Amino acid sequence: MLLPIGKGLLFGALGFLVGAGLAGAVRLLTGRAPWAPEVLLVAGYPPGLVGWLLGVGMWDYWVREWFGLPRREEPADGPGRFFRFCTDHKVIGVQYLVTFTAVMLAGGLLAMLMRLELMQPGVGVLGLAGYNAVMSLHGIFMIAVAVAIILGGFANFLVPLMVGAEDVAFPRLNALSYWLIPPVALLLVGSLLAGGFETGWTAYPPLAALNPRGELFFLLAFLTFGFSSILGGLNFLATIIGLRAPGLTWSRLPIFIWSVFAASLISLTATQFVAFALLTDILDRVAGTAFYNPAGGGKPLLYQHLFWFYSHPAVYIMIVPAFGIVLEVIAHLSRKPLFAYRWVVGAFLTIVFLSFIVWAHHQFTSGMDERLHVPFMVTTELISIPTGMVFLAALGTLWEGRILLNTPMLFALGFLFNFLIGGITGIFLADVPTDIQFQDTYFVVAHFHYTIMGGEIFAFLAAVYYWFPKITGRMFNERLGKLQFWWALIGFNLTFLLMFWAGMRGMTRRVADYHPALADVNLLISLAAFFLAGSFVVFVINVVHSWARGPVAAANPWGATTLEWQTSSPPPHGNFACRPKVLDSPYSYGVPGAVHAVAGLAGGSDREDQFSREEEP
Amino acid sequence: MGRSFWLPVLGALGLTAVGEAVALGFDPFPPVAAEEARVADGAFRILTALAVPVFAFVLSFLVYSALRFRRRPGEQVDGPPVHGSRPVAVTWLGVTTTLTLVLIAVGTLGLEEIRHTAHLPPDLVVRVEGMRWGWQVSYPEAGVSTNRELVLPVGRRVRVEVTSRDVVHSFWIPAFRAKIDAVPGMVTSVAFTPNRTGGYREDPDLRVQCAELCGTGHALMVIPVRIVTEEEFRQWLANQSRQM
Repeated sequence: MLLPIGKGLLFGALGFLVGAGLAGAVRLLTGRAPWAPEVLLVAGYPPGLVGWLLGVGMWDYWVREWFGLPRREEPADGPGRFFRFCTDHKVIGVQYLVTFTAVMLAGGLLAMLMRLELMQPGVGVLGLAGYNAVMSLHGIFMIAVAVAIILGGFANFLVPLMVGAEDVAFPRLNALSYWLIPPVALLLVGSLLAGGFETGWTAYPPLAALNPRGELFFLLAFLTFGFSSILGGLNFLATIIGLRAPGLTWSRLPIFIWSVFAASLISLTATQFVAFALLTDILDRVAGTAFYNPAGGGKPLLYQHLFWFYSHPAVYIMIVPAFGIVLEVIAHLSRKPLFAYRWVVGAFLTIVFLSFIVWAHHQFTSGMDERLHVPFMVTTELISIPTGMVFLAALGTLWEGRILLNTPMLFALGFLFNFLIGGITGIFLADVPTDIQFQDTYFVVAHFHYTIMGGEIFAFLAAVYYWFPKITGRMFNERLGKLQFWWALIGFNLTFLLMFWAGMRGMTRRVADYHPALADVNLLISLAAFFLAGSFVVFVINVVHSWARGPVAAANPWGATTLEWQTSSPPPHGNFACRPKVLDSPYSYGVPGAVHAVAGLAGGSDREDQFSREEEP
Repeated sequence: MGRSFWLPVLGALGLTAVGEAVALGFDPFPPVAAEEARVADGAFRILTALAVPVFAFVLSFLVYSALRFRRRPGEQVDGPPVHGSRPVAVTWLGVTTTLTLVLIAVGTLGLEEIRHTAHLPPDLVVRVEGMRWGWQVSYPEAGVSTNRELVLPVGRRVRVEVTSRDVVHSFWIPAFRAKIDAVPGMVTSVAFTPNRTGGYREDPDLRVQCAELCGTGHALMVIPVRIVTEEEFRQWLANQSRQM
């Protein structure tokens, strides 16, 4: 079962040796010492990466045909397909979901280590360098999770199903995007062995050039991850534009698909900028160039502009699909049409546009030209208008709905509560006079955890429970789900509300030690964080147990209208027995006889098994 | 809409009243020690006052809907086929846009106020250089330089010119609400007018703290700030230049 991975590692090692060997030879021939670890690492990495991809299945199922050889047939079934290059979008979705859930839990453990160090003032268990390494790794782990867990996981699984397609537009490219992820994980673990990196995930130069060798591993990992993200965005756009079922017009697209479309526009077009920033950061370090080194005429501030030109839009890669999930879950579980659908679509596209012109609000204290302050404050504040539209849609849909208060709905409502606080506190950071004080304090830490953890991760959890029966074919345990929700909601709000307070009282972020006056609030935050961590134990127990032993789920347990529910659970290869036809809006609730789409139900079930409208009193 | 609409509205009004009362009594900030700090704290209060009703309104409708419009599991009834309402959406857009414009105005006016004092001619110029991991403070007019503390006279407008010897640092005095990055290869500046005497020992927020991650010693890159009378300041400068 693990043979392709072994082959990938072997080919990867060979590729690395070839690249590094060549670089060493060139150095020797040009009269330089052949042993330059960072140069050899950078030279060996690209061929190593190609070797890994070929070994893990790209050669067998794809590249052979470039050389006129017959392509091998992909084995269709069995657990082995999760451990090799597989082009089925549902397999890839599950690969992303499982991988990034594991990364999220690992990142959570790192956060617990940080809270252990911060329980009391003074340098404790981790030490100063150790704390920086753990904090930096926590940061990049969670950024990767935030970018990929919904877009890589749920979008891969759901987009072809919801648009009524057999698969994504470019299935092999899709598999390629996933298999770029294991080298990222390997590099990040390698970074720890090579002394860690102390710059946080932002990797600001000139610090990035002075750091231990782990920094280089990190920069290569981030670069690879970005490449994967670009390919993913391209694939979703092509799928949504090109593979919609007959009748699925743009105004009938489920809102989650619109959110993936909007986020993909950003990942396809913004990621290149951070790639350039990282590449030049690597060159400054390895080749001694001076893009950002003032001694050679470089500008440290330039990096910050390039970095945030991607990394601010990136937060909308994280949050817009979360909006999509929450609105989808609220509409179907309230059995009511999504309120103000067209306004929400407009809001998503407005957010995409605005996201490109707000980046410098990360730099109000950076020493950039003062004339930039007001324009960036204005554009940033403007984002609250489309975001407000998302709240109107949620509240308008809930109003007079028939709300099923089950686990996915609770997480969707929890999202609204947390994101409301996250959004409102963002105003204080967009406003220059207050931001000058709050920049680089725990106020910022609390704010972005409210939007990403309380927001996106709560939406992710809503999605896990809402689509659990579709993905696994089994039902989750409702009691454990509700227990997890209340536990997580209370634990999360305790932890991060206290962080706002710490920030207002002057607690700087990214520090292992602080003034004893801040001891009480930090102790409370640590205790609350440990409590919050417990809720994820409940999550893991529920998911693992229900996936293995849960009761078998019906094809459409929620009686939802959208296409992914009009096929068996889990859906078969090719998703539908025949090409679905779309007849109406995906939110055709409340009108007797209205049907969003007709799909031949594959997998032997019958339409009679599903929720039927005759049951209405 | 009907009667049920006014219940959450009443709830929102009640929540707003409670929220505003709490917000008015809430002062989490370090004690102010510079004139300019009042602008930041004032902006915080205005933004909080505006945020409370928004929070109250959304929360009230959220909780009310979740409780009022529940359905039992297994009960498969649809809600009314309402796809939206143009007047509601337009009103919502109008309200959120107006609020946003108010926020922008508040921010711009506050910023202008800070800028105005920053551009007035200073009574004293202090140069600060960040390095891993400490601060070198110099008083060019007196020819004095130290890395042990930042000493400032009360009631005098000070401009601090900041730079860095190695990586990016950030010069931050929490009690002044003043922060500016120390960037190698360029000089940035920040201005403030200390308005009371005091020191780090009694008041931990009178400190120069590095606020931009700069490597292993980042957390410890702190030196005390001491605000003294004009007389004491002159004496201190004289003492320092004798020792140098």
